[in-house]
Amino acid sequence: MRHFRTLLAHELRSAALSWNTWAAAGLFLALMGGIHFFALVDAARAPAPRSPVEATLWFFWLPLLCVLPLLTMRTFAEERRSGTLAALLTTPASPAAVVWAKFLAAWIVWVLFWLAFAAFPFLAAQRLDGANARALGEGSALWGGLCFIAVSGLLHVAIGILCSCVTRSAALAALLAFISLLALTAAGGALETLPIESWEWLGWLREPAAHLRTFGHLQDFTDGVLDARPLVLYGTGTLLCLGLAVLTVEGQE
Amino acid sequence: MNEAAPLPEAAVVAERLTKRYGSLTAVEDLSFSVAPGEIVGFLGPNGAGKSTTMRILSGTMSGTSGRAAIWGVSVALDPAGAKRHLAYMPENNPLPEDLRVEEYLTLRARLKDVAPDRVSERVRRVMEDCDLTRRASGRLIGQLSKGFRQRVGIADALLAEPRVVILDEPTIGLDPHQILGIRELIRSLRGKMAVLISSHILHEVEQVCDKVVIINRGRLVAQGRTEDLRRELLPEAAFTVVTRADEAALLAACRAADPAAAVVAAASADGWNTFRVTLPVGSPARETLAGSLIGAGLALREIAEEKFGLEDIFLAATRRAPGEGRRS
Repeated sequence: MRHFRTLLAHELRSAALSWNTWAAAGLFLALMGGIHFFALVDAARAPAPRSPVEATLWFFWLPLLCVLPLLTMRTFAEERRSGTLAALLTTPASPAAVVWAKFLAAWIVWVLFWLAFAAFPFLAAQRLDGANARALGEGSALWGGLCFIAVSGLLHVAIGILCSCVTRSAALAALLAFISLLALTAAGGALETLPIESWEWLGWLREPAAHLRTFGHLQDFTDGVLDARPLVLYGTGTLLCLGLAVLTVEGQE
Repeated sequence: MNEAAPLPEAAVVAERLTKRYGSLTAVEDLSFSVAPGEIVGFLGPNGAGKSTTMRILSGTMSGTSGRAAIWGVSVALDPAGAKRHLAYMPENNPLPEDLRVEEYLTLRARLKDVAPDRVSERVRRVMEDCDLTRRASGRLIGQLSKGFRQRVGIADALLAEPRVVILDEPTIGLDPHQILGIRELIRSLRGKMAVLISSHILHEVEQVCDKVVIINRGRLVAQGRTEDLRRELLPEAAFTVVTRADEAALLAACRAADPAAAVVAAASADGWNTFRVTLPVGSPARETLAGSLIGAGLALREIAEEKFGLEDIFLAATRRAPGEGRRS
């Protein structure tokens, strides 16, 4: 545990001083700021079924695919390439402590990015009068959406960490993370839109499809619906990915 | 230094270590040991399996079979326990470029279980010992010269006062002044820590080490004190003789001193001939050869006994078949 705390503090410090983190933060805020701006413009033109905040959060997949791989790609790949991971593993710090420290540091940075995004709706609300500010949407939708990001982010960051473990190339790690996150996010949506009910031979997919509906989970969180199933899905998925990452680090020669 | 555990017979034990990558055998049936406080040179040609062996001993690579132990703790069964007694500096000494020397050493001290109230003191101490305090402490590691990076690696190895230090090519890329400094530093560890050091600079190893282990193609070819290996691997005394006499006359004079003597012509210039005379090990003629040649009436300008260094021992050991004539 002592090693974990030391490593976590080191990882957070490294993240704060890394140009990579600041470039990712800039890209993230530009993306989300732009999306939110257009959501506000759309809401001003005509009433929409979703509030601007909800409409913006609906695009969570864009930074997930474009920014998160930038945060996780260097965690292990770069250290494997330079040999500093092998040097780190000559200390009594266990591979599990190393993996968990890197994972938690990346997750904290990811959540901080989204907390920074929360400033946009607040700034917009402050510049509008009472009635128009209320039209921007409930604060609960924002906080519910951020909770979804934090919970699903556990699995998303763990996937990024695992992808970084299996290669020495940071670019390849980013590509692998992009493909994996795209598959995970799109799979739920694709299964939701397929007419599974009418295809008897695909009946077995009904249950997994119900679990993998990522956008459904987002909707539940923004609506304030607390369902244990996504928590179990993201929790067990995170543990599985990190377990595989520990085994990968242990097996590296 | 940790004082709790009783002193084991060997600080490092490699017992029938084998490492295979598919059909390629990098290390085969390799056994040797390093006593506490002893400095041992680990030698072999490129690709002999030195780095592989060191990585297995340090727990960063698993062996295919055999046993590796550090201070009596099995590296395979209790890697964390073994690492508490061990410091390992890999061949290319990988260091994070974006940390300052002091920050890096502080991080490493914490990871190596140095007591929190001793971290600053230990970091300061090893920086002084490795001459890093004045010119490198506040600089980013990425801006340091090769020599200073090596010093940072050695400082890191000494941080937690381990029982065993494994250094893979610690003087590679250093200038003669830096090599001298590192040599003195390693010498100062004698009696305090067991040191296993690989180096291509054989003179360096001869100067510093109590014992050498020589491997070739993954197998042990010789181990022991340099003097013992010299007797085992180079069992003859050789002299360079410069004389006006011809080969037949010289051979007759040498055979009179020792019937087993041999003469080989080497060069000839201005009427002076240079020969290499060899005598069997332990031959009494070794001490009387000069007198015998003068007594035989040969015109003698020069006679000098050849000194076999570690380089000759290394060449002799690596020329013979692996497994032939090992010492323990």
